[in-house]
Amino acid sequence: MRRKLYILIGILLVAGMVLAACGKATPTSAPAPKASESSQNNVPAKTSAPSAKEVTVTIGFTQSKTGKFNEESTRQSDGLDLWIKQVNDQGGIKLSDGTVVKFKAVSYDDESSGDKVQQLYTRLITKDKADFLISPYSSGLTSSAAIISEQYGKIMLATGAASDSIFKKGYQRVYQLYTPASHYLTGAVDLLQSLDPNVKKVAFIYENSKFSTAVVKAAKEYAEKKGYDVVMFEGYDKGTTDFGSFINKIQDSGAEAVMGGGHFQDGSTLARQIYEKKLPIKYLALLVAPPDPSFADLGDAALGVVGPSQWEATANYSPESAKAAGLTWFGPTSADFVKAYKAAYNEDPDYHSAGGYVAGLVLQKAIMDAGSVDPDKVKAALDKMDILTFFGHIKFNTADAHGLQIGHEMIYIQWQKKDGKLVKEVVWPKEGATAAPLYPLKH
Amino acid sequence: MSKKFFQHTSLWLSLGTVLVIGLWPIVTHNALNRETAFTVLSAVALASSLNILLGYTGYVSFGHVVFFGFGGYVGFYTINVLGWNIWMAMLAGGIAAALLAYLLGVAILRLRGAYFALATIGINEAVRAFINNFAPFGGPTGMTLNFKVYKAYGGAMHALQLVFYIMVGLTLIVTILSYWVRTSKFGLGLLAIREDEDAAEVMGVITPSAKNWAFVLSAIIPGMVGAIFFFKNGTIEPGLAFPLRTSIEMIVMIMLGGQGTVLGPILGAAGYQAMRDYLLVSPLFKNLQLAISGILLLLIVLFIPRGLVGWLRQRYPKVRRWLI
Repeated sequence: MRRKLYILIGILLVAGMVLAACGKATPTSAPAPKASESSQNNVPAKTSAPSAKEVTVTIGFTQSKTGKFNEESTRQSDGLDLWIKQVNDQGGIKLSDGTVVKFKAVSYDDESSGDKVQQLYTRLITKDKADFLISPYSSGLTSSAAIISEQYGKIMLATGAASDSIFKKGYQRVYQLYTPASHYLTGAVDLLQSLDPNVKKVAFIYENSKFSTAVVKAAKEYAEKKGYDVVMFEGYDKGTTDFGSFINKIQDSGAEAVMGGGHFQDGSTLARQIYEKKLPIKYLALLVAPPDPSFADLGDAALGVVGPSQWEATANYSPESAKAAGLTWFGPTSADFVKAYKAAYNEDPDYHSAGGYVAGLVLQKAIMDAGSVDPDKVKAALDKMDILTFFGHIKFNTADAHGLQIGHEMIYIQWQKKDGKLVKEVVWPKEGATAAPLYPLKH
Repeated sequence: MSKKFFQHTSLWLSLGTVLVIGLWPIVTHNALNRETAFTVLSAVALASSLNILLGYTGYVSFGHVVFFGFGGYVGFYTINVLGWNIWMAMLAGGIAAALLAYLLGVAILRLRGAYFALATIGINEAVRAFINNFAPFGGPTGMTLNFKVYKAYGGAMHALQLVFYIMVGLTLIVTILSYWVRTSKFGLGLLAIREDEDAAEVMGVITPSAKNWAFVLSAIIPGMVGAIFFFKNGTIEPGLAFPLRTSIEMIVMIMLGGQGTVLGPILGAAGYQAMRDYLLVSPLFKNLQLAISGILLLLIVLFIPRGLVGWLRQRYPKVRRWLI
């Protein structure tokens, strides 16, 4: 009897652990990129020097093969693996002294949890002798790993980590590729200003969660600096479904533009109710919800709504736009990346995949600029980096918040109508735009 | 002398095991071994603490990680905001966890069996939800330490070394505590509660107070471990601080080694962590590590349900006297 009880408890425990480990977060809505036809192969560093000295650089990272970040993290490492494969297939990077650099990846499962991240990064550095590191997915795991990478003087490229705070903690060798959370909506303010300098009254309405609050606080400050009059700044609780009273309040405030939102459900409900109540505003920019393809289900309510995204396959960054902006272009075009990714993994890349790939690309550029794999020289090259890639502009803060991304801008998409069908177009920044912005909002 | 020495064989064995794990990275001068030993020792400390409640008193707590997380948060706050040093922060974490346990104990230790287990899960979630909305602790995004904090300890490398020594110390303390409880009159009361709470009461054990003290004792060290763990981790957020899975793992480790014994949770935790570490990095198993550790656990629980020490005690009656 007692034995049976033990067995039962044992089975329950094992089942519990498996469940706990398998519990995945709802997959973040990945913007579905459209592959445009292009056969142009623009991957740099095509070299072959049979007699040259060859070095293999080890890139270490942890991947969340299990747990809640599994989906995003897997895409991220798929992107990185694709870059490694492409560079190696092309014979590696040839440095100015004739050395050929090839890459190899070492990775372990961090289980999406913080308890083993430091141990695994210590292992990557001391046992696997990783020369460069890529961060785990998520800001939390990245901050744990940064303590280890920093103390061994290793360079870590942080992708999939949007937090500002890690980069204000005195690290010198951690570099961020994503646009930080504090800049999620500032581009939306710039876009508004470029569209209509006469609009002055802005209302912010946002979900009471830390992420949205951090984003709108920064956006509010920015808007005020730009001369906007913030007539309303109000949060709503998670799970709000009726925005009637908020919409009335916005109307009373006389706001001409509305910004904010939180996640998919509340954001799309807010957009729908604003449309149904025919709120007389000219501009609406919301977090997270608009880039999701299912936002189009709102029909006409989606028309004209602007939303930020880290990367979109349709973003039109090109060698030409780099020239126009006075930047150096580096790496493949979006179309080439999407094509190669689809060929390798049989699915469309999302911004996590692009983030993983671009981490490799930035490292490649830094090694090429440094002409060496020496960490100090590569660090100097990263500090100086100012390039345009298919992912966008890459430039790092080198002063008070060392390593914080200051070049990459969020891409702002807008739902527009083409041949009677809703399509997602990139409208900001200008060098990546695929269509002219629709303005004002037609309700 | 020797008779007295052998009286405490179990304590020496337990302390010896902890010392071997603690000395291994020091002798080998290897940072990776230190990191590995750190996770093993923190598992040993957590499992041995929970054993006081689960093994000795017979109360299954599925939410014991709440003390680790809460102590971690309080400790982290004192370092990050109040600028305290790690020693004070560790003390604050331990005291905070003990206070929380005391208050919770008054409320939920009246429950027995499955009801108590359910309540403990609820408490972990409730505290997590509270922290999520508690602005001084940073809400959902938590807090991050400035890298300069480690300078006071001679740089991050030395800080991590120091944290490791503290962890060795804490694990030795929890081992002595566990042994003391197991062999004291107080512990005898707890064992009586485990066998039959009503009978224990009739026999003169003041069960509410004994249970509550067991709960408090089992919470102090996890609170301290939390404080030093998050100091080392450099960042804290609700998701990292209150993982339900760690709670379950603590129970698994105790059951592997043998619940209700001093040496059991130590061997269970060390064995479990060693297995997980091996599977996590072995080229052959690293993609399947969770499935394999699940199967191994199932086999162990099926064939030696009393755990290693329990099995030894059952199989070799002679060792019972000194293997507790």
